[in-house]
Amino acid sequence: MLDIDEMPSSNRRRRLGGVKEKPGITTDMNSMVDMAFLLLTFFMLSTTMYRPRGMELVMPVPDDVQTRAQEVQAVKASQALTLMALPDDRLYYYRGLPEASALRASNYNPDGIRAVLKAFVGETDKPVVLIKPHPDCSFQNLVTLLDEMNINRIGRYAIDGISQDELTLLQQLGMPLPPQ
Amino acid sequence: MRFNAVSRPKTPQIDMTPMVDMAFLLVTFFLLATTFKTGEVVGVQMPRSVAGLNLPMTDLLTISVDREGRAYLSMATPQARRAWLQRHGQVNQVAYTEEEYRAFEMLSGFGVPMTQLRALLQTPPEQRKRFRQPGIPIKGDKNELADWVVLARVTIPRLRVAVKADAYTPYKKVEDVINTLTDLNVLRFTLITQPKKMSDDAGY
Repeated sequence: MLDIDEMPSSNRRRRLGGVKEKPGITTDMNSMVDMAFLLLTFFMLSTTMYRPRGMELVMPVPDDVQTRAQEVQAVKASQALTLMALPDDRLYYYRGLPEASALRASNYNPDGIRAVLKAFVGETDKPVVLIKPHPDCSFQNLVTLLDEMNINRIGRYAIDGISQDELTLLQQLGMPLPPQ
Repeated sequence: MRFNAVSRPKTPQIDMTPMVDMAFLLVTFFLLATTFKTGEVVGVQMPRSVAGLNLPMTDLLTISVDREGRAYLSMATPQARRAWLQRHGQVNQVAYTEEEYRAFEMLSGFGVPMTQLRALLQTPPEQRKRFRQPGIPIKGDKNELADWVVLARVTIPRLRVAVKADAYTPYKKVEDVINTLTDLNVLRFTLITQPKKMSDDAGY
């Protein structure tokens, strides 16, 4: 929409004190503004401000895993806590050596394993946590446990497989033994 | 002194020009900043975690693992993808055509054995959704995932590897991928998660 300025230019020139002016044509910008903001809104909404986020995981050197696990078991039995993530979101833990009397059930809620870890960190000098995910437990379970390590600031932890001792232990306790 | 005999209704005129300038500036910004999602190769429901650091948008190789344990690979930028495929062609003595390179550049991710890659690249983009991608072989006589990761590391020295597994994937499937990485001496990698609050329960 173009408007021819109705005000005679001589009139305006007088008012503006003789400043030279463009011809009296003004463009109606409203529709352009509408469109610009429409596009702006579209791009704002369609832009994914999403950036992938993740947690860092540092694995030990492969050859080292066995020796390290043995070391931890032999020397630090009193300072070690073992978490066993089993299928169907079941979680068991024990401190020290795998004995039936030490095995406890827990869960992934904040009042479950987090409280356990907090108490463990509080009373242990150099806490070591072994995470033993069962082959059939869900990935979320592992991530939750790794997350709890960060939350409780446990620097020394390792992911390891469930040992034969622990499997027989679970069997003895009448817990359904998941097929390997 | 002069009085107007007819009082003209005063219509306030707002100069829209700066506003238009600004609006188009912002439009341009968002236009350039937008990276349109190119449709992910596989839908993965990421596990939730409190901890989380931002990943870089470049130099990133993502290994997606779906619920059935199929592995898919996606490289962050088109340039990196092209260089990656060039390496792959050199090593495996496959002469990819320019069209195939272009298709690979546009491909956000793939999960096919090497033998099917050309067929996938030759499929028109609109039909690619229907192309059955069985995942990159990890087990068996040839661990192709390992090959791809090695090539990616050679192509991009500063490569960061991320594992994007579904929350419900059985651990053994993720373990296969992690073992593949540790065997290649990729000991530091990232598990992609989505943020949750500290107080939230373990829920998915």
